Amino acid sequence: MSEENQREIKTIFEQLDHDVHLEFFTERESPIIIPGGNCPTCKDTRLLLQEVVALSDKLHLDVHEVTTTGEAARQQGIDRIPALIMSAEGVQGKIRYFGLPSGYEFSVLIGSLVDVSRADADLADETNEVLSKLDKGVHIQVFVTPT
Amino acid sequence: MAIANLHVVADVVEVSEFPDLANRYGVRGVPQTVINESVQFVGNVPEAVFRQHLERAVSAG
Repeated sequence: MSEENQREIKTIFEQLDHDVHLEFFTERESPIIIPGGNCPTCKDTRLLLQEVVALSDKLHLDVHEVTTTGEAARQQGIDRIPALIMSAEGVQGKIRYFGLPSGYEFSVLIGSLVDVSRADADLADETNEVLSKLDKGVHIQVFVTPT
Repeated sequence: MAIANLHVVADVVEVSEFPDLANRYGVRGVPQTVINESVQFVGNVPEAVFRQHLERAVSAG
Protein backbone atom coordinates (compact mmCIF):
# COMPACT_ATOMS: atom_id res chain seq x y z
CA MET A 1 0.00 0.00 0.00
CA SER A 2 1.44 3.38 -1.00
CA GLU A 3 1.81 6.21 1.50
CA GLU A 4 -0.87 8.13 -0.35
CA ASN A 5 -3.29 5.19 -0.05
CA GLN A 6 -2.50 4.93 3.65
CA ARG A 7 -3.27 8.62 4.12
CA GLU A 8 -6.56 8.31 2.23
CA ILE A 9 -7.63 5.28 4.26
CA LYS A 10 -6.66 6.96 7.53
CA THR A 11 -8.97 9.82 6.59
CA ILE A 12 -11.81 7.35 5.87
CA PHE A 13 -11.11 5.60 9.18
CA GLU A 14 -11.80 8.85 11.04
CA GLN A 15 -15.44 7.79 10.60
CA LEU A 16 -14.89 4.63 12.67
CA ASP A 17 -17.00 4.48 15.82
CA HIS A 18 -16.94 1.20 17.76
CA ASP A 19 -13.94 -1.12 17.74
CA VAL A 20 -14.05 -3.68 14.93
CA HIS A 21 -12.82 -7.22 15.42
CA LEU A 22 -11.42 -8.98 12.37
CA GLU A 23 -11.21 -12.74 12.74
CA PHE A 24 -8.99 -13.97 9.95
CA PHE A 25 -8.68 -17.64 9.05
CA THR A 26 -5.62 -18.61 7.05
CA GLU A 27 -3.21 -21.46 6.46
CA ARG A 28 -0.31 -22.14 8.76
CA GLU A 29 2.75 -20.41 7.34
CA SER A 30 5.31 -22.89 6.08
CA PRO A 31 8.54 -22.63 4.14
CA ILE A 32 7.53 -25.77 2.25
CA ILE A 33 5.29 -25.68 -0.79
CA ILE A 34 2.75 -28.47 -0.67
CA PRO A 35 1.29 -29.18 -4.13
CA GLY A 36 -2.47 -28.89 -4.06
CA GLY A 37 -2.38 -28.09 -0.36
CA ASN A 38 -1.52 -24.41 -0.42
CA CYS A 39 -3.77 -21.41 -0.24
CA PRO A 40 -2.27 -19.11 -2.90
CA THR A 41 -3.82 -15.88 -1.60
CA CYS A 42 -3.64 -16.48 2.16
CA LYS A 43 -0.27 -14.81 2.69
CA ASP A 44 -1.14 -11.69 0.67
CA THR A 45 -4.51 -11.37 2.40
CA ARG A 46 -2.85 -11.63 5.79
CA LEU A 47 -0.27 -8.95 4.91
CA LEU A 48 -2.98 -6.68 3.52
CA LEU A 49 -5.11 -6.99 6.66
CA GLN A 50 -2.08 -6.34 8.86
CA GLU A 51 -1.43 -3.13 6.92
CA VAL A 52 -5.08 -2.07 7.18
CA VAL A 53 -5.46 -2.62 10.93
CA ALA A 54 -2.21 -0.67 11.51
CA LEU A 55 -4.02 2.43 10.23
CA SER A 56 -6.45 2.65 13.16
CA ASP A 57 -6.33 1.66 16.80
CA LYS A 58 -10.02 0.77 16.55
CA LEU A 59 -9.28 -2.22 14.33
CA HIS A 60 -8.20 -5.49 15.93
CA LEU A 61 -6.95 -8.47 13.93
CA ASP A 62 -6.99 -12.02 15.26
CA VAL A 63 -5.23 -14.50 13.00
CA HIS A 64 -6.32 -18.13 13.20
CA GLU A 65 -4.06 -20.59 11.44
CA VAL A 66 -6.24 -23.41 10.25
CA THR A 67 -5.06 -26.93 11.03
CA THR A 68 -5.40 -29.82 8.64
CA THR A 69 -8.73 -30.78 10.20
CA GLY A 70 -9.89 -27.16 10.23
CA GLU A 71 -11.95 -27.91 13.32
CA ALA A 72 -11.84 -24.44 14.94
CA ALA A 73 -12.66 -22.81 11.61
CA ARG A 74 -15.56 -25.14 10.93
CA GLN A 75 -16.98 -24.36 14.37
CA GLN A 76 -17.22 -20.76 13.15
CA GLY A 77 -18.89 -21.91 9.93
CA ILE A 78 -15.74 -21.34 7.87
CA ASP A 79 -15.25 -24.03 5.23
CA ARG A 80 -12.69 -22.28 3.01
CA ILE A 81 -9.77 -19.86 3.37
CA PRO A 82 -8.72 -17.09 3.31
CA ALA A 83 -11.77 -16.01 5.29
CA LEU A 84 -12.51 -12.90 7.32
CA ILE A 85 -15.33 -12.30 9.81
CA MET A 86 -15.98 -8.68 10.80
CA SER A 87 -17.85 -7.82 13.97
CA ALA A 88 -18.48 -4.86 16.25
CA GLU A 89 -20.84 -3.75 18.99
CA GLY A 90 -24.36 -3.38 17.62
CA VAL A 91 -23.82 -5.65 14.63
CA GLN A 92 -26.52 -8.32 14.70
CA GLY A 93 -25.69 -10.74 11.89
CA LYS A 94 -22.49 -12.08 10.37
CA ILE A 95 -20.39 -10.34 7.73
CA ARG A 96 -17.71 -12.38 6.04
CA TYR A 97 -15.23 -12.03 3.22
CA PHE A 98 -13.72 -15.00 1.36
CA GLY A 99 -10.60 -14.44 -0.72
CA LEU A 100 -8.16 -11.60 -1.26
CA PRO A 101 -9.91 -8.21 -1.48
CA SER A 102 -7.96 -6.59 -4.30
CA GLY A 103 -8.72 -3.80 -6.75
CA TYR A 104 -12.22 -2.38 -6.37
CA GLU A 105 -13.04 -4.96 -3.69
CA PHE A 106 -10.39 -3.43 -1.45
CA SER A 107 -12.41 -0.22 -1.27
CA VAL A 108 -15.52 -2.32 -0.57
CA LEU A 109 -13.68 -3.87 2.37
CA ILE A 110 -12.64 -0.47 3.73
CA GLY A 111 -16.24 0.77 3.40
CA SER A 112 -17.53 -2.37 5.11
CA LEU A 113 -15.22 -1.82 8.07
CA VAL A 114 -16.67 1.68 8.51
CA ASP A 115 -20.28 0.43 8.22
CA VAL A 116 -19.62 -2.38 10.70
CA SER A 117 -17.92 -0.01 13.13
CA ARG A 118 -20.89 2.36 13.00
CA ALA A 119 -23.37 -0.56 13.02
CA ASP A 120 -25.01 1.51 10.32
CA ALA A 121 -26.83 -0.50 7.65
CA ASP A 122 -28.50 2.62 6.20
CA LEU A 123 -31.52 0.67 4.94
CA ALA A 124 -34.93 1.89 3.82
CA ASP A 125 -37.83 1.50 6.27
CA GLU A 126 -39.42 -1.07 3.93
CA THR A 127 -36.28 -3.21 4.06
CA ASN A 128 -36.09 -3.00 7.84
CA GLU A 129 -39.72 -4.15 7.94
CA VAL A 130 -38.95 -7.23 5.82
CA LEU A 131 -35.91 -8.01 8.00
CA SER A 132 -37.91 -7.62 11.23
CA LYS A 133 -40.22 -10.44 10.10
CA LEU A 134 -37.38 -12.93 9.58
CA ASP A 135 -37.57 -15.88 11.92
CA LYS A 136 -34.99 -18.11 10.27
CA GLY A 137 -31.56 -17.83 8.73
CA VAL A 138 -30.90 -15.98 5.50
CA HIS A 139 -27.62 -16.60 3.69
CA ILE A 140 -26.63 -13.92 1.19
CA GLN A 141 -23.62 -14.66 -1.00
CA VAL A 142 -22.27 -12.02 -3.35
CA PHE A 143 -19.78 -13.29 -5.91
CA VAL A 144 -17.25 -10.78 -7.15
CA THR A 145 -14.03 -10.74 -9.17
CA PRO A 146 -10.94 -8.61 -8.64
CA THR A 147 -10.99 -5.64 -11.03
CA MET B 1 -28.71 -6.29 6.08
CA ALA B 2 -26.43 -8.48 8.18
CA ILE B 3 -25.59 -5.43 10.28
CA ALA B 4 -29.28 -4.97 11.07
CA ASN B 5 -30.47 -8.53 11.63
CA LEU B 6 -29.08 -11.49 13.55
CA HIS B 7 -30.62 -14.00 11.14
CA VAL B 8 -28.56 -12.73 8.23
CA VAL B 9 -25.15 -14.05 7.16
CA ALA B 10 -23.68 -11.94 4.34
CA ASP B 11 -20.68 -13.22 2.41
CA VAL B 12 -18.54 -11.64 -0.26
CA VAL B 13 -16.73 -14.31 -2.26
CA GLU B 14 -13.86 -13.72 -4.67
CA VAL B 15 -15.12 -16.15 -7.25
CA SER B 16 -11.84 -16.61 -9.13
CA GLU B 17 -10.34 -18.15 -5.99
CA PHE B 18 -13.19 -20.58 -5.43
CA PRO B 19 -14.12 -22.12 -8.80
CA ASP B 20 -16.14 -24.85 -7.07
CA LEU B 21 -18.63 -22.20 -5.92
CA ALA B 22 -18.62 -20.56 -9.36
CA ASN B 23 -19.57 -23.94 -10.84
CA ARG B 24 -22.14 -24.73 -8.17
CA TYR B 25 -24.05 -21.49 -8.76
CA GLY B 26 -23.23 -21.11 -12.46
CA VAL B 27 -21.65 -17.71 -11.94
CA ARG B 28 -21.29 -16.03 -15.35
CA GLY B 29 -21.41 -12.34 -14.47
CA VAL B 30 -20.47 -10.34 -11.41
CA PRO B 31 -21.62 -9.26 -9.00
CA GLN B 32 -23.88 -12.29 -8.76
CA THR B 33 -25.96 -12.65 -5.62
CA VAL B 34 -27.35 -15.91 -4.28
CA ILE B 35 -29.87 -15.85 -1.44
CA ASN B 36 -30.54 -19.10 0.43
CA GLU B 37 -29.57 -21.22 -2.58
CA SER B 38 -33.00 -20.43 -4.06
CA VAL B 39 -32.80 -16.95 -5.59
CA GLN B 40 -30.04 -15.67 -7.85
CA PHE B 41 -29.56 -12.44 -9.73
CA VAL B 42 -26.74 -10.61 -11.51
CA GLY B 43 -25.84 -6.96 -11.19
CA ASN B 44 -25.67 -4.19 -8.68
CA VAL B 45 -29.41 -3.70 -8.15
CA PRO B 46 -31.25 -0.94 -6.26
CA GLU B 47 -32.21 -1.72 -2.66
CA ALA B 48 -35.92 -2.07 -3.53
CA VAL B 49 -35.12 -4.78 -6.11
CA PHE B 50 -32.80 -6.54 -3.66
CA ARG B 51 -35.62 -6.47 -1.10
CA GLN B 52 -38.00 -8.16 -3.56
CA HIS B 53 -35.43 -10.92 -4.17
CA LEU B 54 -35.00 -11.31 -0.42
CA GLU B 55 -38.76 -11.65 0.10
CA ARG B 56 -38.91 -14.23 -2.69
CA ALA B 57 -36.07 -16.24 -1.10
CA VAL B 58 -37.69 -16.12 2.33
CA SER B 59 -41.12 -17.19 1.03
CA ALA B 60 -39.49 -20.04 -0.93
CA GLY B 61 -38.49 -21.41 2.47
